[in-house]
Amino acid sequence: MTLNLRPLLSSLLRSRTGAILVALQITIALAVMVNAVWIVSQRIADIEQPTGIDDDHMFVVAIAGLGSGFDLSSALAQDLAYLRGLPGVVAATATESAPLTGDGQGTQLFLQPGQRGRSAALGVIQTDTQGLRTLGVSLIAGRNFRPNEIQPFSKHSLEQSVPEIIVSRALAQALFPESDALGKVVYDGAGRPMTIIGVTHDFMGPVGLGNPKYQTALYPKTPGEYGAYFLLVRTVPGRLDVLMQTAERHIGASNLDRVIFFAHPLQFYHQRMIAENRNMAIFLSAITAMILAVTCLGIFGLATYNVSARTRQIGTRRAVGARRRDIIAYFMVENAFILCAGVLAGCALALATGYWLSVRYDLPRLDLYYLVGGVLFLWIVGELAAWQPARRAASVAPSVATRTV
Amino acid sequence: MLKMQDVSKVYRTDLIETHALRNFSLEVKSGQFVAVSGPSGSGKTTFLNVAGLLETFDTGIYELDGQDVSRLSDDARSRMRNEKIGFIFQSFNLIPDLDVYDNVDVPLRYRRMKAAERNQRITKALELVGLASRTKHMPSQLSGGQQQRVAIARAIAGDPALILADEPTGNLDSLMARQVMDLLEQINEMGTTIILVTHDPELARRAQRNIHVVDGLVIDSAPYERRLGADERAGAGGSMPA
Ligand SMILES: Nc1ncnc2c1ncn2[C@@H]1O[C@H](COP(=O)(O)OP(=O)(O)O)[C@@H](O)[C@H]1O
Ligand SMILES: [Mg+2]
Repeated sequence: MTLNLRPLLSSLLRSRTGAILVALQITIALAVMVNAVWIVSQRIADIEQPTGIDDDHMFVVAIAGLGSGFDLSSALAQDLAYLRGLPGVVAATATESAPLTGDGQGTQLFLQPGQRGRSAALGVIQTDTQGLRTLGVSLIAGRNFRPNEIQPFSKHSLEQSVPEIIVSRALAQALFPESDALGKVVYDGAGRPMTIIGVTHDFMGPVGLGNPKYQTALYPKTPGEYGAYFLLVRTVPGRLDVLMQTAERHIGASNLDRVIFFAHPLQFYHQRMIAENRNMAIFLSAITAMILAVTCLGIFGLATYNVSARTRQIGTRRAVGARRRDIIAYFMVENAFILCAGVLAGCALALATGYWLSVRYDLPRLDLYYLVGGVLFLWIVGELAAWQPARRAASVAPSVATRTV
Repeated sequence: MLKMQDVSKVYRTDLIETHALRNFSLEVKSGQFVAVSGPSGSGKTTFLNVAGLLETFDTGIYELDGQDVSRLSDDARSRMRNEKIGFIFQSFNLIPDLDVYDNVDVPLRYRRMKAAERNQRITKALELVGLASRTKHMPSQLSGGQQQRVAIARAIAGDPALILADEPTGNLDSLMARQVMDLLEQINEMGTTIILVTHDPELARRAQRNIHVVDGLVIDSAPYERRLGADERAGAGGSMPA
């Protein structure tokens, strides 16, 4: 094939507006595609991630007090006593944070007081001695809370200090990457010290509060400072639906100073999480497909336009000796130049976007294999899009040179 | 150089058949300068296209440079056009996005010539047509006559045995037309066979041989003077078969 790169390039640069626009399209398509596919792969991985808790056998009841007469402390104690007495209930606890939802408390811990030193973001589950059993989470080091360590209800619980905490392994590693977290002291935002008395397997507490989803801690604390609390209940297999109905009915009737907002199996939230991930994956895939389609149309349109605008030139080239394949090569190589410019800029934009996304949304950094794959894919698709116009160019008759005036 | 015997060419569309060439017979010897004239639509361009392998024909025999071309593949025809034939068109057909140098370069690159040899040939051809100082000009920056001279340089740069020119002066004023004609004569004197389609009797008269085409037929292939004489004897302005 006779490629004639230099004259081809100088000819391309002389009429470059369309080429620049299409190259820009390719740039954007590559950046969107690579990052979207990356995020989709993360979301699909998320769908398969274990929650680390026994959500199949748990339900949650959301309760809020009405008016100032509501005695939250005693209502909460009654509810827990009732639930723990129900046959089929494995364990129950009260908290302000519903696992697998964005409903709860997110915070940060520091290695030094005054918000200094290494820090980690986490979701907090307030609980008591039954917290671990209720969640179905087991300790890998240390011990559970003791009854005397549970802070009683306070209207100002944010000012309460929590001297002992239990943390997930992910949180322990975020705070102490090199050493054992057990027994170490960490500090909350107000500079109050907390000792890590236990480390658990990884599990999801409240998610999406700025915390990586396995970074969770249990605080020994009675919830309710906002006049509301969640009851978390774990049942034996097969009894969840019945027990949830029974509990909802009893709790609703037992104290008229409060309302039940809802009662849901935890599976409901898990499924919702999965559906959100799946929908996001579908949405991003659809967007990517559309941008790719538009880009291919752009490439096809530009090539088609160039072929028809240069019919006479093609005829002349044929007349002076170009073979059909030389004409095809001409348009394919011209397209390759445009692709090349678009792809080079696209790599830069994809990396910049990937970096920004990873910082802004705390996502893992874009895997470079995805970029390489994206470049190859876009290159093939982009050349395919120019193939038909190039074939059409090759079918222009050499006699066009004499027949066109 | 060129030998056609009973060549015919029919254009078929849904509605009509046009017999653009019928039993077209002609022999042109190497080194000849032949002018082809005839009324519009008589088949002159068709003849040139068939002769230059731009179009195929239906029946008859055509030998170019001693070779029967009716069976050649499309690639082989491209190659023959590239190596043996130089085209000059009425509307110049320079490539608008390439400068003068690159335009002359086009056929040489399709021949896959080495850069040094291409450069030498381009320079020589542009010198011959008097445009060696305009290599960086774009076609749009040149007059019609200059553009046609670039096209001539492109046609001769590959050292073709045969040059086919279809009304190369049709878009030029008479002064420029004469310059182009001077160039063609000069090229012919260097040994290149030239077939020139022209309306202009003054230019036709300068050719060694005149061919008159009517309705797809060669009706006279005498030198211009003789044909003119014959026409006068017949008392007709146009030409009819005797
Ligand atoms: N591609 C074509 N399709 C159909 N008819 C054509 C085509 N090209 C030329 N013709 C017809 O063939 C005849 C000869 O045309 P042409 O060789 O261009 O004549 P000239 O060059 O002498 O004016 C004309 O009647 C013209 O209309
Ligand atoms: Mg014509």
